[in-house]
Amino acid sequence: MASDRRHRVLTIARHEYRAAARSRILVVLLAILVIATAGSVIVAAAEYASRLADYQAYHAAAVAGGVTQIAPSPLAPLSLLRGAFEYIEIIGAVIAITLGYLTVSRERVNRTLPLLMSRPVTSGELAAGSLLGAVGVIVTLVVATMAVAVLSVGLVGHDWINVGQAGKLMLAFGVAVVYMATFYCLGAFTTASTKVATNGLMVALGIWLFVVLVLPQIGDTLDADNQIPGGLFAALGLGHDGEVQILTHFTAYETVRTSIEAASFAKHFERFAFAMTDVKERFRSLSLPDLFFQVRASIVWILIYATALPIALNHSFRNQPSIPQGET
Amino acid sequence: MITTVTSQQLLSLRRQRVFLAALSMFVAMTAAAGVLGWSSHNTIVRVYDEAVKLLAADGQPTPPNPFLLKPELSLLSNMVVYVPLLGALLALLLGHLSLTDDESTGLGRLIFSRRVSRTGYAVGKIAAAAIALSVIVLVAMAVSVVSLMVVNQRIPPISVLGRLGLFYSMSWLYLMLFALVGMAAALLNRRRSLALLSAMGAWLVITFAIPQFTSALRPTSSLNPIADPVGSSQRFFQITALARPISIAEQYKAASGQILSTAAPEPGWQTALRVVPLMVFVGLLVAAVVILVRRHDFSRSGNGE
Amino acid sequence: MKGPAIEIVGLGHKYNDILVLHDVDLSIDRGEIFGFLGHNGAGKTTTVNILTTLIRPTLGRALVNGHDVATERRLVTADIGYLPSEVRMYPHMTATENLTFFAELSGVEKAKHAVAETLEYLDCSDLADRRVGSFSTGMRQRIGIAQAIVHRPSVLFLDEPTAGLDPSGIRQLRRTILDLNRDLGMTVFMNTHQLSEVSRVCTTIGVLSRGELIYKDSMEATTRRFPDETSLEDIYVQMEGSPA
Repeated sequence: MASDRRHRVLTIARHEYRAAARSRILVVLLAILVIATAGSVIVAAAEYASRLADYQAYHAAAVAGGVTQIAPSPLAPLSLLRGAFEYIEIIGAVIAITLGYLTVSRERVNRTLPLLMSRPVTSGELAAGSLLGAVGVIVTLVVATMAVAVLSVGLVGHDWINVGQAGKLMLAFGVAVVYMATFYCLGAFTTASTKVATNGLMVALGIWLFVVLVLPQIGDTLDADNQIPGGLFAALGLGHDGEVQILTHFTAYETVRTSIEAASFAKHFERFAFAMTDVKERFRSLSLPDLFFQVRASIVWILIYATALPIALNHSFRNQPSIPQGET
Repeated sequence: MITTVTSQQLLSLRRQRVFLAALSMFVAMTAAAGVLGWSSHNTIVRVYDEAVKLLAADGQPTPPNPFLLKPELSLLSNMVVYVPLLGALLALLLGHLSLTDDESTGLGRLIFSRRVSRTGYAVGKIAAAAIALSVIVLVAMAVSVVSLMVVNQRIPPISVLGRLGLFYSMSWLYLMLFALVGMAAALLNRRRSLALLSAMGAWLVITFAIPQFTSALRPTSSLNPIADPVGSSQRFFQITALARPISIAEQYKAASGQILSTAAPEPGWQTALRVVPLMVFVGLLVAAVVILVRRHDFSRSGNGE
Repeated sequence: MKGPAIEIVGLGHKYNDILVLHDVDLSIDRGEIFGFLGHNGAGKTTTVNILTTLIRPTLGRALVNGHDVATERRLVTADIGYLPSEVRMYPHMTATENLTFFAELSGVEKAKHAVAETLEYLDCSDLADRRVGSFSTGMRQRIGIAQAIVHRPSVLFLDEPTAGLDPSGIRQLRRTILDLNRDLGMTVFMNTHQLSEVSRVCTTIGVLSRGELIYKDSMEATTRRFPDETSLEDIYVQMEGSPA
């Protein structure tokens, strides 16, 4: 029985993958993502190459001059991938929602749901198979993005990432897969829960807009230091200590601000990905366990969202009528 | 005939729940921009008070009041982000709904079996979108004026109202562009979802991808009200920067910065020039929509979701 | 297998508190070709939807091959084939890709082989590698039948199978139904408006009116019972007017 179930889930997953690969709109969105990502990484890598050359010249001169204490390179090749992650955060989420929408609308438009449900397939198997197929599509996409990004860093930035960095990158891209799979579930969930599939898509895109773009922007805007151009604390002639001291009077305010940011799933993905790819300078010297500790809250939030949405997906598939409503 | 198409379309929009929900979201965010402005005002007051105490305890002189550094209309600087994000998507949806309903219900066939000219139909639809967006923009402006009154505890002077009027007029034009993109996409794609998603693809490219290539702006930098382009000496940007004048998302933000006085001032003609590409694109899209409607095969309407 | 292929006892169904099917009792023996007649909205499709497990009955019970459609869904669906009134399938996929998918879901081993065999049986191997999106209504119907029989079910449900077909398509479908019944021993349950098809194909008929079964008998007995009637249409109109 278990092997039959596995067989059915895999059949649906393969079907999902094939159908997605033949969807014109997905291919267009994927092209936008890959081109934009490649653009951002190549542009950053070109700048990086000249800075790397400067450092190497300094290093060579220092060695030739017999200097024993040479400053380590301040450059972090992984940080060049920042644009790639930002695009996954924004466009990747739209692609995932589209994928979810297509999963449900495909069966409705083609009237194949009754055919599926008149076979020995449960709605749970349908949900699991569809999600698995979508994860396959997302992995393909993320691997393609990763390959383009790493090659750009090596070929244009003249710096190839090492094994340790590759490990951290894999973790970041792994979480990117989870991030996109969660948005996939959102798209499929809202579409399965609405009578008119396009309305479901619009609801999911509305949520995306709020979670990915608006909430992080509000959090940023509320940052006390961002209130005036050039920084409020700098304008008042206060250094870091003064800033910390004054912010002790703003704990409630800061709690509200961070809660708004915490409500954004995208912000957690961003924090994790940036921590793994040396975007934040303060994280660059930390070991992997220390990095995990620093972003533990984000990991927990990602896990919560990534668990809740597949459950919601399963629920919506179970409650979705197998036949078009109104037929007698 | 044009007025019949226009009024019918406006009535239809008023009955569309999805459109009303998107509209409410936009108005709510306009109000939120006001609340954020008020919060910003409060934060500055409190930080300034604390800073004065702290610096006095250290025996240092009182710093200048930061309000002098903060222009009055910066209270609404978030609107400069919400218009290209929420507003543009709302406009896309409006343009999309304007045509897809007639298409998917098969009404197109009924309409053109009567004495209706295609150009008149297209103009009627565009006029309906223009009127709907005017109403939306006027509501947003009213909310902004109320926010300014609440925060500053006075009626805004005429000069401020004039600037607000100018900002929202330009925003209307910006939104029209996306309504027309929504319409064009609906005419180019038979399936509703494909039409909506390809219009969104265009929005993603205009809002995020083009500014990256013309100004090396990372996608999340596009979310900041005032985003200075990253200075880059690369030849790549020296070439792509030539296309910056037609990167309308950037030009919209830059012109808004001038109108709301939240950016370093520049000559008025320079700001006016920033709006010209936007006007040209809107003109071109109006022509494109009219031509597409004239060529569209409405005999196949009613077949796609 | 023993017992009737389909057994319905006191079956009822409500949509939004409106009773669309009321106290239906029906038994169909193995090997029958059952024609289910009724006007639009009589409840024919609802009955098929219940028998194919797509919806759960509100009242009563229905058994297919002795298995309860409400509680033994998996056992029921393992041995039925279903052709809905409008067949669309996945337009971007070829006929073989579509059929292989459905065959695999039904647990068919060597699905591709079974698909090729089925297409050959239905005399439409030429459609195998073409995308379904380019098919005419008649071609789609044939591929629809192929998906319904690719796993060799013992009971086949056809919902308005002749809708949209031209006369030659209808003739071809008639032949197919008779072949399936004769060669593979399938029990066929067919909803239809085409009275001429019922008289030429079915061995038993039932008439549903406003959710109630008002008549059920063999085709032979039906023509005996209404000896003066020249066509089944007249019989049908007479029955609709005066419930038996």
